[in-house]
Amino acid sequence: MINDIRNTVLAVLNKNNYGYISPQDFNLYAQQAQMDLFEDYFYAYNYQVNKENQRTSGTGYADIKKGYVEVIDFFSVTTALSQVGANLDKFFLPSISTTGSDYYLINKIFTGSTELERIEQSKILLLNSSPLTAPSTMFPAYTTEASTATIYPTPAAAQTVNCQYIRYPKAPKWTYVDLGTNNEPVFDQTQPDYQDFELFPDDATDLTMKILQYAGVSIREASVVQYAGAEEATEINSEK
Amino acid sequence: MSYLSQYEYYENGGNAPEDANWGSYQYVSLKDIVVNYQLMYSGNHSLINNEERYKILFHAKRAIQELNYDAFKEVKVLQLTVSEELRFVLPSDYVNWVRISYYNDGVIRPMVENVQVNSAKAYLQANDARILFDQDGKALQPEYSPLDFTRITGQQPSIYLNSLSPYNGLLGYEYEGCWYFDFAVGARYGLNTETANANPTFRIDKKAGVINFDSTMADESCILEYVSDGMEGGDDTQVTVNKLFEDYVYAYISYQILNSKLGVQEYVVNRARKAKSALLRNAKIRLSNIHPGRLLMNLRGRDKWIK
Repeated sequence: MINDIRNTVLAVLNKNNYGYISPQDFNLYAQQAQMDLFEDYFYAYNYQVNKENQRTSGTGYADIKKGYVEVIDFFSVTTALSQVGANLDKFFLPSISTTGSDYYLINKIFTGSTELERIEQSKILLLNSSPLTAPSTMFPAYTTEASTATIYPTPAAAQTVNCQYIRYPKAPKWTYVDLGTNNEPVFDQTQPDYQDFELFPDDATDLTMKILQYAGVSIREASVVQYAGAEEATEINSEK
Repeated sequence: MSYLSQYEYYENGGNAPEDANWGSYQYVSLKDIVVNYQLMYSGNHSLINNEERYKILFHAKRAIQELNYDAFKEVKVLQLTVSEELRFVLPSDYVNWVRISYYNDGVIRPMVENVQVNSAKAYLQANDARILFDQDGKALQPEYSPLDFTRITGQQPSIYLNSLSPYNGLLGYEYEGCWYFDFAVGARYGLNTETANANPTFRIDKKAGVINFDSTMADESCILEYVSDGMEGGDDTQVTVNKLFEDYVYAYISYQILNSKLGVQEYVVNRARKAKSALLRNAKIRLSNIHPGRLLMNLRGRDKWIK
């Protein structure tokens, strides 16, 4: 998908000889555009929930929310957390170094079939003070601080603590080989660092428009920014 | 929790204790209550949304506590021997008493609560009645107050018709040359029915956490029937609620959350309150066990001839 989008972007930019963006710039804009759209999924999901509550949304093929759930779930990862040293109650939150990917949001932390409840730092002391609400093995809880989670009550030694989280999409990278004749880079997806967009194909238009906006700003071409912005707004409105 | 097989139910799957699951089908666990509530009554399209689990847990436990105080009719029984100090320490999960009995010669004899105070705190006093203090300014206390001392040493008379009555064994009415007080000689007019009991008496000191008895209970066996709050000493795995009250607990949680939430319309709160009250009434009627068979036995008394 990344090559198609790059070709479209270049085609639009070259139409009136607006200019050219290098592969490096394209990769930067592509990453930025993907992150923008990725974050929009969560707002769009919430928007659809509200529409359902207002009874202005349908079921079956009209269930737009389901589509967002599927897209978000594509980025879901479930993995065991690493214990922090000898502290039985502390575990590293997901990160590239511990679980292979950074988390965008933690959906749940659980041991066996028991889910831990996330507690705000401002509440945990109060929670522990009340006999009715104090975390127990049946209703455990956790707080987060920096890159670690503290679990209440302290789990037994060697107990596996799992986490299901939504990871960030991988940074897209359009890779190429330089043939040298006219110094035109040629797309090569066999490169080890190649990475396609992780968003679904129906987001290709949005990605193209967003990249065009960044590219328009880069080459100081206001009409490109305006055109891409208007196209994106139209696309968003049509999806509501 | 999944359903148990017959083997798991009757013999706990071969594990000890064998009776762990007997009667368990009457109850639903606290975990099931909270999980079911989160699944069925809380979510994006429900009245209850974005509520922390600990709030649901708190209200579920409060509902169970309230039910344990009266509606459940689940009375716990503890039998202990009363100490030389005539005390019976209240159980760790005690909330209120139902009945206190004296177990003697294989017979359970219900005791009455003494209407008079039988225990007190005291301060040491000088000859001129001034209170004595230690160097930290605290009033000095004797081991026992005079009231406690006379009771524990068996010197305290009782207004009840038991062996501590000041008239017990004493001569009283003159009859054919003898005086009697506690023998039923002829009609006994003016009997104070409030104190007309021959069993030992007790009084509960709630703050001290003990039941104080009169001196006739020393080393005697006492049976305490009491109600708890159902929290099982803080062990959430043991907290259960009768299935007849399951819907009430859900309704109670909903009402409490809606009632304390900002911006909820009053009619919604009222609807939740009415649902909660109605479900409690229904459950109480169900649990009251009015069986036709029992009514029949009572109604058979209609045919008795009144002499």
